[in-house]
Amino acid sequence: MSQQPTRGTWTKCPHCGGHVNQLEWGEYCQCPHCHQYLRLTAQQRLKITVDTNSFVPLEFQRKTNSQLQVPGYAEKLTENQQRTKLKEAVLAGQATINGVSLMIGVMDSHFMMGTLNTEVGRVIRVLYTTAKQRKLPLIMFIASGGARMQEGIFSLLQMNTILMAKREFDATKQVSISVLTDPTMGGVSASFAFKNDLVIAEKNAQIGFAGQRVIKATSADKLPANFQTAEDLLQHGLVDDVVAREHLRGYLATLLKLHQRG
Amino acid sequence: MLSDQLKQIRSQNRISSRTVLNYLFHDFVAIHGDRVLGDDAALTGGVALFNDQPVTVLAVNRGHNAVQRQHFNGGMVSVSGYCKALRLIKAAQRFNRPVISLIDMPGADASAYSEHHGQSQAIAEMLAEMGELSSPNMAIFLGEGHSGGALAFANTNRIIMLENALFSVASPEAVAAIVNTDTDINEYLPMTATALKRIGLVDDVVREGPKVLENIERAVAKQLSALNQLNEQELINQRQKKYLKVLEAGRE
Ligand SMILES: [Zn+2]
Repeated sequence: MSQQPTRGTWTKCPHCGGHVNQLEWGEYCQCPHCHQYLRLTAQQRLKITVDTNSFVPLEFQRKTNSQLQVPGYAEKLTENQQRTKLKEAVLAGQATINGVSLMIGVMDSHFMMGTLNTEVGRVIRVLYTTAKQRKLPLIMFIASGGARMQEGIFSLLQMNTILMAKREFDATKQVSISVLTDPTMGGVSASFAFKNDLVIAEKNAQIGFAGQRVIKATSADKLPANFQTAEDLLQHGLVDDVVAREHLRGYLATLLKLHQRG
Repeated sequence: MLSDQLKQIRSQNRISSRTVLNYLFHDFVAIHGDRVLGDDAALTGGVALFNDQPVTVLAVNRGHNAVQRQHFNGGMVSVSGYCKALRLIKAAQRFNRPVISLIDMPGADASAYSEHHGQSQAIAEMLAEMGELSSPNMAIFLGEGHSGGALAFANTNRIIMLENALFSVASPEAVAAIVNTDTDINEYLPMTATALKRIGLVDDVVREGPKVLENIERAVAKQLSALNQLNEQELINQRQKKYLKVLEAGRE
């Protein structure tokens, strides 16, 4: 799930159980045995996606919601911040891919499963607004379990308010691209993730609205083995394409080139 | 207690969207089907008159007894229901009709069928379309309404809640299952009509009891007449500002 191996160590592949040396994972964090991927941190994702040293993060003054008093939540946030070195479950900024400027947002499933809360929602709205102001295309790497329960209704209301910010971005006629990575679920899936102009899924990613546990509990449907995988969605016509991690950078560069405006 | 409240709003005797629809509107004409997948029984949609004004109605059916609840999928709207709603909202936009939704649902349908036919996409489309609507829209929470599935019906200029209704990020059971801690975090989350009014999300809390239908009618008339004074751009702006204000309140 969330392996971040230290040098020279061995880890077990969460997909096939094979033992993999840290060096064998490579920059794409792909298992040499079963070729499945590990989930990337936002930093790892940026490293394999944008031109070296091109990423300039948007700066935010962190705010907290004093109306939320859920016991243990503040400690949980601190623990996640210390472990991931992130302020929240998303990184956002401007960068280039093959020299083409763009705004980019990268969610990180290692930070409270990439869940959408007040702060993550605000960053994504600012990302759309900044892309509009700078007249740049926008790429979002989605990795999220959905809305963050600890912020209740405030998390839920990110779904519609982000789409309101997106609507203004759309007036620029710049392209917006979602890359759905593992996992893309719930309130994130049913909001901006599927509303960008292009919706690309990374190979093997799990993507859906409802979780499989919930589906099994509330419906009699039999679930196929590849249910809610990127490939399953492609087969049902729900994503534009499925792309392997090692090909994504080149693929995105081509999409940006095809959507460049004079 | 939350559990008592849930028991009450989920009981067979709870006021249904059909009862409210019949009382509030006249000349109701049902519009069926999403034109592609089918016709979701969980959602009744159509056009009717409220006083003398044509409005679009989106009513989620939960059902009173076990047989009805099975037929209506317990109010869990499927992908087909969201696509039907979307079709009705687009027509409302074209004819400049207000959209009024009646909400009583634990969440959106969770099934392989809905997943395979684009439940996420359908909810996202409806959320966006409701947000961009240049005619007034309004949501009335009769029982419970949770998750993005309910928000799609409640991305509106005005939200009216019956005093015992609930509106949360997910059903209390789902919240407790996802955040598995000793204390039930539902106790700390604003989800009741009064708590949501306090944060500025709910505009009107309707008293229940024998006069509940009259009270709903009065609330709708009051809110709709205010919205009828706004032009298209003002309606879009008001909706957007309302939600952003809720999110900014309390942050420091
Ligand atoms: Zn493996």
